[in-house]
Amino acid sequence: MQRAIRLVMTTAVVAWLLPSAVMAEEAYLNYKSYCMQCHGMHGKGDGVNVPAMNVRPRDHSDNKYMMTRTNTEIYKAIKFGGPAVNKSVKMPAWGDVFTEEELTQMVGHIRTLCCEKELIRGVNFK
Amino acid sequence: MKRVLFSILLAVAISPALVSAGEDGTEILNQRCAECHNLTGPAPQTIRDLWKRDAPDLFYAGNKFRREWLVSWLQKPERLRPAGVNYLRTINSTPKKHQDTKKDAKQFDVLWGAVLKPLRHDILTGAEAEVVADALMQLKANEEQVAGMMLDTSKTVTLEQGEVLIDKVYGCQSCHQIEPGFGGYTGPELYTAGSRLQPEFMLSYIKRPRNWDPKIWMPNGNVKPEDLQKIVNYLILLAKEDYHATSD
Repeated sequence: MQRAIRLVMTTAVVAWLLPSAVMAEEAYLNYKSYCMQCHGMHGKGDGVNVPAMNVRPRDHSDNKYMMTRTNTEIYKAIKFGGPAVNKSVKMPAWGDVFTEEELTQMVGHIRTLCCEKELIRGVNFK
Repeated sequence: MKRVLFSILLAVAISPALVSAGEDGTEILNQRCAECHNLTGPAPQTIRDLWKRDAPDLFYAGNKFRREWLVSWLQKPERLRPAGVNYLRTINSTPKKHQDTKKDAKQFDVLWGAVLKPLRHDILTGAEAEVVADALMQLKANEEQVAGMMLDTSKTVTLEQGEVLIDKVYGCQSCHQIEPGFGGYTGPELYTAGSRLQPEFMLSYIKRPRNWDPKIWMPNGNVKPEDLQKIVNYLILLAKEDYHATSD
């Protein structure tokens, strides 16, 4: 009986972990292909295009600043571009590139770059 | 007499080989270009496929390039994308010895490796370039994307106005260079775009890059129809500038 319970429990845990792990990788791939050219390999706003730019891209690892932004704001900035959140046009709108699901996953991915500690502490970014 | 007969026979035997090598651009394409270039389509549909791409897709070359530019470029190939076709392979964090050791110092990503050397590309002879350009102009995929496109030459702009559009209004310059060394690295250079590309292609591609290349890292800039015409007119005007004369 105990073995059966354990089996069910492990299956449940694996089933719960599996899709989230796959999703995280997709957001990471998207970040790497589209965001990295300006926000940098480590998300520090130090991408390869930056030396020629007159507005510095956001440092996604800047915990102090990123903590002041809501998920909705980050979502809007990605989907509609910088001007939608009163920021620079140098941040283009990616709404045509990402699906709705990819957009929300991307917000989650950006949170793991900046605010992982706060996520564990249970801060509600909404 | 025998010698004459022999030379005639020899000429007859060789000539088909000469003709086929000289006149069949498609054959040259298949033998020398297909290894790296995609000549049949479709464009990469996933990010992983996109990262595997070694050279620009050519299956819609006939709807993309100007023939005269192809002929001259094939004889003297030069790099068009400062970060290479696949920028993901050519960037790296700043090497340790150049890093700023101060706390919180930015470590900018840099270009490295083969992309810093001159482009490695087959160099064709004049005759070969002509036939290959002819063969490339026959590759007309995505016909429906350029069908409705028409350049309105009345929407003219000056170089200054165009630069404002590219830099301040739509931010294209973050990734594209509008003169050598002035702009970003991950997109192809814009100062030769007007002589390289057909106006209809530029209109269609800027309007929605996904229609041509579903996973490309160029976003849809939501360019207004009027500005779209102005930008393409500007790019054609920009290509008439001689940067090699003024760059020094």
